[in-house]
Amino acid sequence: MADEKKSKQRHRVMVLASMYPVVALMLILVACVELCDAATVVDVYRLIQYDISGVPFGSRFSSLNHHAASLSFQRGADLSRSVLILPLRELDIGFVQDYISQKQSLGGLLILLPQTFRPGNVGGGSQSSENDGFRNLLAQLEKLLVHGNIPFPVYFAFENEETDAMLADVKKNDALGQQATATTGGYKLVISVSEPRKIASPTITNIQGWLPGSRADGDSNQLPTIAVVASYDTFGAAPALSVGSDSNGSGVVSLLEVARLFSILYSNPKTRGRYNLLFALTSGGPYNYEGTQKWLKSLDQRMRESIDYAICLNSVGSWDNELLIHVSKPPDNAYIKQIFEGFSNVAEDLGFQVALKHKKINISNSRVAWEHEQFSRLRVTAATLSELSTPPELLENTGSLSDTRQLVNEDAIIKGVKLVAESLAKHIYGHQGKDIKIFADDSSLAVNPFYVRSWLDLLSQTPRVAPFLSKNDPLIMALKKELEEYTAEVSVQHESLDGSFTFYDSTKASLNIYQVASVTFDLLLLLVLGSYLIVLFSFLVITTRGLDDLISLFRRPPSRKVKMA
Amino acid sequence: MTLFHFFNCAILTFGPHAVYYSATPLSEYDTLGTSVKAAVVYLATALVKLVCLATFLQVSESEVFDPYQEALKAMIGFIDVAGLYYALAQLTHRNISQNHKFQAVGLGWAFADSVLHRLAPLWVGARGLEFTWDYVLQGLEANANLVFTISLAALGSLMWLRKNKPKSLIPIIYTCAVIIATMPSITSYLKRVMGWHFPKIVGFELVTSLVMAFISCQLFILCQRPSL
Repeated sequence: MADEKKSKQRHRVMVLASMYPVVALMLILVACVELCDAATVVDVYRLIQYDISGVPFGSRFSSLNHHAASLSFQRGADLSRSVLILPLRELDIGFVQDYISQKQSLGGLLILLPQTFRPGNVGGGSQSSENDGFRNLLAQLEKLLVHGNIPFPVYFAFENEETDAMLADVKKNDALGQQATATTGGYKLVISVSEPRKIASPTITNIQGWLPGSRADGDSNQLPTIAVVASYDTFGAAPALSVGSDSNGSGVVSLLEVARLFSILYSNPKTRGRYNLLFALTSGGPYNYEGTQKWLKSLDQRMRESIDYAICLNSVGSWDNELLIHVSKPPDNAYIKQIFEGFSNVAEDLGFQVALKHKKINISNSRVAWEHEQFSRLRVTAATLSELSTPPELLENTGSLSDTRQLVNEDAIIKGVKLVAESLAKHIYGHQGKDIKIFADDSSLAVNPFYVRSWLDLLSQTPRVAPFLSKNDPLIMALKKELEEYTAEVSVQHESLDGSFTFYDSTKASLNIYQVASVTFDLLLLLVLGSYLIVLFSFLVITTRGLDDLISLFRRPPSRKVKMA
Repeated sequence: MTLFHFFNCAILTFGPHAVYYSATPLSEYDTLGTSVKAAVVYLATALVKLVCLATFLQVSESEVFDPYQEALKAMIGFIDVAGLYYALAQLTHRNISQNHKFQAVGLGWAFADSVLHRLAPLWVGARGLEFTWDYVLQGLEANANLVFTISLAALGSLMWLRKNKPKSLIPIIYTCAVIIATMPSITSYLKRVMGWHFPKIVGFELVTSLVMAFISCQLFILCQRPSL
């Protein structure tokens, strides 16, 4: 008997000993708990994060792991561990402003935008007043967010069925004042990305195309040059969504169309003018037109001096009756007068008006509001053609989220192209004052609306924030290829963005939405299961061994004690 | 917290087997060996079934109930019965009374079934943050399956191991056995044709399992009377 017992004990000890490595392995497996696929995954776009001369702006954090809350939360509830979900439709700017200015702590902010603001959503051409209202609201919100220093992650997402269902659920539970008691009700939003890092040396890329004029007797370099310039990059609250259809997609499209028309004219030596044409797509527009400045400085001095005048295109896509020419030289300057007269004559013929606006340059102020100011600082006559009447502030009108395809009117662009082309042609071929239409409709030199539309659609689906565009970005390659078709020489210049602007990466992420149950639910379930197993055990013991056995299970310890005594 | 949920579902799925073993006299007679042998036979049966299914069955994309496919599945399901017969009748067990033999075999069989079919989904699925009722329902289904398997083992032992049975009861025994053996086909019919959702099916399974257990118990007792 004793031997058997001992061997049994040894056996048990050996079994236990062999279990240890298995247990250890199990613990290791348990330690690496992978998160399962969530029921819902949504694409989200982060608010931009940047510094100007070391001063931080935008949202400073990117990863998120909190419960969802909605606007119907109880007053005074602590939201520092919640993500507030704000649909744009119910946004109250004052509330957001208060939250940011009072520096109240918040786990995160998720802004839901209507589907009409999605780039590539060309449908819904009619601008309803509701959409206009949202557009204004979005513009205000962007301004607030871009110029503030926000210590929590801010993300933009587009409404879809799943987010709507989740938001409805969250609102219902918040109204009841509960967080997550039962199985449905608690939502956890998780975005797992690494901390944002500085973009090491952001590059800005300028693309220039040179169309030489016909030399009569001498070198073509002695021919005067006319430059047409547009900046193609944008800046907005969400860099992955800043497509900037009007600012400055419209300018880029107009430049490309003018280049195409003049390349047709210049391809035939008989119609080649006595002016060189220089087309430039510059970058770094929102940052005081840094790209334009660097491009100008890189030009050969003789070339720069040969520029008669330069026309800069900025936001020419959504105007009705009046375009504005902004200049920095005083209006009574002879050159300016000549340019303006040429433009206004053509405009009259085409049925709209052009007005002249003068803004003096303040050399001590580093802010460059219009692109022509960079030319004027290097003593080149220039003017900006734009629908905007007031000079934009820093980082304003630079292609924000509200600047989508629906804002741009193709006809406005076509009218603008006609204006620029006819005026340039009049100047080049010396037809001032005569009533000649070179780029008439139904001619081989007509403005091609399909070309305009296809490039506009492409640009309205391509976010173009310069620090996030690599040197060989497909868009830059496409623009270069397009200019190569219409001009004789194309050169691409890569520069790095100056030190005062610093950008951080991590612009796009995936949001996982989990429906979670609270700990109380799990405890309750454990209780229920425990009692079920105990009942099952007693039932089985009673039916198979009899009630006495069940009672005897509980009476063993006392009986042993009795035996010992 | 999510590991908590996994733990809950695991004890719901595998707990009853352990409880059954420890509560009934099976533990006193140390019938673990029988259960292990039954589990191994189940593994072999599952492999054979898998090969047959892969060879003969067409995978249909839609959830349409195809009677021929279902009949084929039912026939392959009878391989299960054959495996159970092998475990009950052909394997040599230690001297255990018939009463306990079918229980041990049924227990081992059901435990292997649960582990094979339910452990992997549980481990992968229940640990995530997302909460669904699926795994709790799966655990309940495992319980129903345990009862079904033990009833089937009881009827099987009546059919193959007991020689003297009252004539009138034989057809009832065979009918009940057939019903239990074709339970998978019945549930898939309910799911596809009648469009029942998982909770309803699990409820139906639980009720049916209790009914079947009661009937098999009664049959067993009735068959035991002549030998007493």
